[in-house]
Amino acid sequence: MLRLEREGASDSGIQRLFRAAHTLKGSSAAMGFAKINELTHEMEHLLDRARNGELRVSADMTDLFFRCLDGLKRLQAEIVGGRPERSDIGSLVRELREFAAQANPGANSRDGSGAGAGAAASDEAGAAEEADPFRAAPEEAWRDLRAAASAGRPAFKLRVRLADACEMKTVRAYLIDVQIRGIGAVVWSDLEEARAAGEERGEFAWLLTADGSAEALKERVAGILDVEEAFVAPAESAALPARAGEESGGAEARGEEKERQEERAEGDAAAGAAAKPRSQTIRVQVDRLEHLMNLVGELVIDQTRMQQVQKLFRQQLGSDDKVEALTALTDHLTRTIGELQQSVMKVRMLPVDQLFNRFPRMVRDTARALGKEVELVIEGKDTELDRTIIDEIGDPITHLIRNALDHGLEAPEDRIQAGKPRKGTLRIGAVHEDNQVVLSVEDDGAGIRADRIRSSAVAKGIVSSEEAAKLSGPEAVRLIFRPGFSTASQVSEISGRGVGMDIVRTEIERMNGTIEIDTEAGRGTRFLIRLPLTLAIITGLLVSAADREFILPMSSVAEIVRTEAASIRTVNGSPIARIRDQIVPIVWLHDLLGLPKRRETRKQLPLVIVGRMENRLALAVDELVGNQEVVIKSLGSFIGQSEGISGATILGTGKVALILDTADLLRMAGRIH
Amino acid sequence: MSSTTSAGQYVEFGIGAENYAIPISEVHEIIRMQDITEIPSGPPYVKGIFNLRGRIVPVIGLRRLFGLPEEEPDKATRIVVLNHADEYVGIVVDRVNQVVAIGDVQSPPDRIGGLSGALFAGIGITSSGLVGILKLDEVLLRD
Repeated sequence: MLRLEREGASDSGIQRLFRAAHTLKGSSAAMGFAKINELTHEMEHLLDRARNGELRVSADMTDLFFRCLDGLKRLQAEIVGGRPERSDIGSLVRELREFAAQANPGANSRDGSGAGAGAAASDEAGAAEEADPFRAAPEEAWRDLRAAASAGRPAFKLRVRLADACEMKTVRAYLIDVQIRGIGAVVWSDLEEARAAGEERGEFAWLLTADGSAEALKERVAGILDVEEAFVAPAESAALPARAGEESGGAEARGEEKERQEERAEGDAAAGAAAKPRSQTIRVQVDRLEHLMNLVGELVIDQTRMQQVQKLFRQQLGSDDKVEALTALTDHLTRTIGELQQSVMKVRMLPVDQLFNRFPRMVRDTARALGKEVELVIEGKDTELDRTIIDEIGDPITHLIRNALDHGLEAPEDRIQAGKPRKGTLRIGAVHEDNQVVLSVEDDGAGIRADRIRSSAVAKGIVSSEEAAKLSGPEAVRLIFRPGFSTASQVSEISGRGVGMDIVRTEIERMNGTIEIDTEAGRGTRFLIRLPLTLAIITGLLVSAADREFILPMSSVAEIVRTEAASIRTVNGSPIARIRDQIVPIVWLHDLLGLPKRRETRKQLPLVIVGRMENRLALAVDELVGNQEVVIKSLGSFIGQSEGISGATILGTGKVALILDTADLLRMAGRIH
Repeated sequence: MSSTTSAGQYVEFGIGAENYAIPISEVHEIIRMQDITEIPSGPPYVKGIFNLRGRIVPVIGLRRLFGLPEEEPDKATRIVVLNHADEYVGIVVDRVNQVVAIGDVQSPPDRIGGLSGALFAGIGITSSGLVGILKLDEVLLRD
């Protein structure tokens, strides 16, 4: 709805608004909220006509819709507030009807009646057009039913609506089917049809015979897991399948349309009986969650301090009873707070679907604009991520997808020539791995050719030709993450938005994530993005430099080594370390940050290796203090972005330590060397 | 503090030889000097950040702005924590004198002792003499 408010009257806007109204109408009918249902029905009607080009969207119309939205919000608020649907919507409904009538005088395409009656009349027409799932049932099925009915076995038409939240509805429907077959003898269902069509729908229909009354059947079916609502109608009058529902008593099976009218006639009782008890979820405002997370963050800090205090006590007093009691207490607190932290983090998690569901449309449009054919496969859309990550990863992923479509996948003719299927495949996936979430964008396109990257990087002056020659294939491919690199020979409209891969990498690294490329010429390219589960709390390595303490996110620490300070060699005057046959430049953290050097020097020099692949750096620090969970706090708008610093945290001592931004540090080191 | 006539409560403090005031409504609390963590690449007027009961609060020094040399904090040094534009900001002052009611606030002249008048919301008279009432919007975003 919010999106609709923003986007106004674009074609896709109408389409979406129409769908939204339709969904609302459906669910309000299902839950027995008659007024919402009535209002949304009228809105849907008007939108349908705007969608079909029968009506032009005018400012008046948008205005009216906004008022309808307000009306809906009011109704919703009333329901939430336990005063179901108090406010009057009569005038809005009337206005909608009038609008439909006057905007289209006498030109109602659906029937010839006068303009005034147009709305109501086409309402009927619309109802008849609502798909009747039972129309698809073959004549034999009806014959069987009639036979059963005349033999005294009650025959029913059953429609089941699955819960919106239920995933993989077709699969669910099969499970429900098994249970329904346990209740009665099914002569027909549209499950096969739905499966064959491959569509994800939320409603399925059965024709069956069963003992007992329609009500009893309805109740039993409604009790099955994931069934939002069941509609049962006797099928004895089933000779005319298409209009069958009309004469029958009880709930009927023709469409939401009729359903609504009947519910109004019968009162809410029938719907109420079949509707499941309210699902066990509540909606919570985001800032309340943020607040909760902040509080947990403070607890985590206190708990680290507490542990420190407990250690001090133990050191000073040895292990006497009181110290033991304190130890037991802090241990328990640590566990409880850990669990609390986990739970609060879970509450903030959203399925990545929230992000992925915008891609199908984008992929289709982009591919079409580029004249490419692509099949989008989305995997793991139930994977849950912290909502802040979902917010922030959208742009980088979008960029990767556009890149894959633009530079990765070949044009259909080229693919056929290369012996590949005409249609390319783009896979987007999300999966949990340990304490991380791994997002992938994978295409089966041309892949990235290292030699081309090498020459391109040399041409752009990113590396010298000698350097380029020394790089291994994967190292060369990673050059695309360097600033100033763009593989497209010309800036295209699709991916040439001035955002290069280096920005993608920077954004991911800002979230303490990493990005890897896996590519094979002619076979395709895969980008793997690893992200922490949450941005709020990280495991940090506490180091000291220049008598100050800093946190390095553990996720960006590749290795920690100690080396003899005397054994450090230099190449061209720059100190280097040899780590597993790789030459890594050494930079003193205090130099990077422009801090004074600590007076004494030790024999053993701790080095923290950060960065990946060819882009590594050995940070020389004074001391490794340890690792701990730290709560990330922003420096606030007063200080804003500070180079090399991503935030701050409060240590067990109560002191504030800065959290280092390793991506920034690598860049800063690049300037020194 | 657009009004120049109504009496208001102010916190009066000193930096160097001069005295200044801030409307008490802007002051969240006044605390002793804290352990401040510098920000290596931060803006020059920001002295650093500190932990105010679990909250990270930036601290700024006004000595630079007032053209005074930096000084080591002593026993009288305080941090005046302001609640400005929904954010806490601390300013380091050499001493906090008193809370005063200033009834008569004059418009600031163009320059006050070498400082731009734009930094001040007005000039008031207290028992300490003339005090410049700081215009926080200006002062906090300077340098």
